Amino acid sequence: MWRWLAEAFAVAAKDLRTEFRTRVAINSLGLFALTVLAAVSYTVGPYRIAAEDRPFLLAVLLWIVIFFAALAGLDRSFVKEEESHTAPLLRLAASPSAVWFGKLVFNLLVIYMLMAILVPLYCILMGYTIMMVWEFVLILVLGGYALAVITTIVAAIIARALTRGALFSVLSLPLLLPLMIFLIQGTAGVAEGTPEIVSSTVRAVLSMGGIMTIVSAALFPVVWSD
Amino acid sequence: MLRENAEMEWIVPKPVSEILKWVLLVWLAGVIVAAFFYVQPAEGFIGESSRIVFFHVPMAWVAVLAFLVSCVTSVMYLRRRDPKDDIRASVSAGLGLLFAVLATTTGAVFAKIMWGAYWNWDPRQTSITILLLIYAAYLALRGAIDDPERRASLAAVYAILAFVTVPFLVFVVPRIYWSLHPDTIINTRGANEFDSRYTQVLLASLVGFTYLYVWLYTIGCRIEEIRQRRRQEVL
Repeated sequence: MWRWLAEAFAVAAKDLRTEFRTRVAINSLGLFALTVLAAVSYTVGPYRIAAEDRPFLLAVLLWIVIFFAALAGLDRSFVKEEESHTAPLLRLAASPSAVWFGKLVFNLLVIYMLMAILVPLYCILMGYTIMMVWEFVLILVLGGYALAVITTIVAAIIARALTRGALFSVLSLPLLLPLMIFLIQGTAGVAEGTPEIVSSTVRAVLSMGGIMTIVSAALFPVVWSD
Repeated sequence: MLRENAEMEWIVPKPVSEILKWVLLVWLAGVIVAAFFYVQPAEGFIGESSRIVFFHVPMAWVAVLAFLVSCVTSVMYLRRRDPKDDIRASVSAGLGLLFAVLATTTGAVFAKIMWGAYWNWDPRQTSITILLLIYAAYLALRGAIDDPERRASLAAVYAILAFVTVPFLVFVVPRIYWSLHPDTIINTRGANEFDSRYTQVLLASLVGFTYLYVWLYTIGCRIEEIRQRRRQEVL
């Protein structure tokens, strides 16, 4: 168990180190998010949307920026191993489940870093007031986790296909859309301050994240070693 | 690799299937006639719109059944690595996509008559759209991988992932959000709200369309098997 954890965290640490050397994923994710945020803030701004529509419409824009930013860079975690031909070495060095968990931790950290910068900026620039702040943080944490689980396994699949860039969005989005619907409703709920919507969202996102974790942990060895 | 003398795909033995094919023709013709002449339009629905239930519900059921078959055969492929399981999964996913399109279309016609618009992003319509996207993505993934064995195992993994999201789409999304969609056959109250003639025709239609799926599935698997064997002969 400890050995497995050590392997997994070694994979995540290696990814973080190479990421900070090249900054490919962080640049593509972060700059994409900031550019879209600038565009949204310029065109919509804090005053264009009527007060009663704000909680919902601003939630939609926020999650669209987060999801599309994630789709712009999270496939790097596996694609870079195939492109630099380091994947065979990684297969020898660590067990498949440790690789999966390490990559998941890496993607999770990237998403949380993105959220930590993007979400406060978004709330300030768009004038998005949240009534239930801690519940909002909970939704962001759970949503970020489910997003990381799904994109990690899809990135592993498309790293082994021929056309990678477009395929990542094509394969991820249908799996992510239900999650996106839940998260938008939940964020609109915390912005308005309606606890019932929050609890149903948390349950839906938790079960989705949980099931996806189990299924991808079980299926990853097939994707990784075939 | 497919074996030279591999048995052709027959779920129903060949002579029986030859007869059932003609039974199916008569059966489905009977279902169509019954749907329009045997039952009375249901109360609470505009005009004759309730009759579409005899086509819409079986389409949706077959679509889900096909996706279930695709998921099960994908699991079987990963367990025993038989190329025929991969053929089964891909044929079934293709048919599931076809029936899901038909369910969406019949649903849109009903929506136009009852709700005034073909499309209004009702939760049911949203969920079927995502379902269509998932299986279109599955077929796109199959197109993007050259190596047959890798294609089979990666597609199987994606089919299982996709099937896991189906319960969220079919059960969770419509439950959380308010929907105009009439109560489903398996509803929360556990009550069957159809009168007996409705139940008879609907069951007959379900049986008919399910066998139509089985028949198309058998043909699809055989065609795909022959195609792959031909490719091996050429190589």
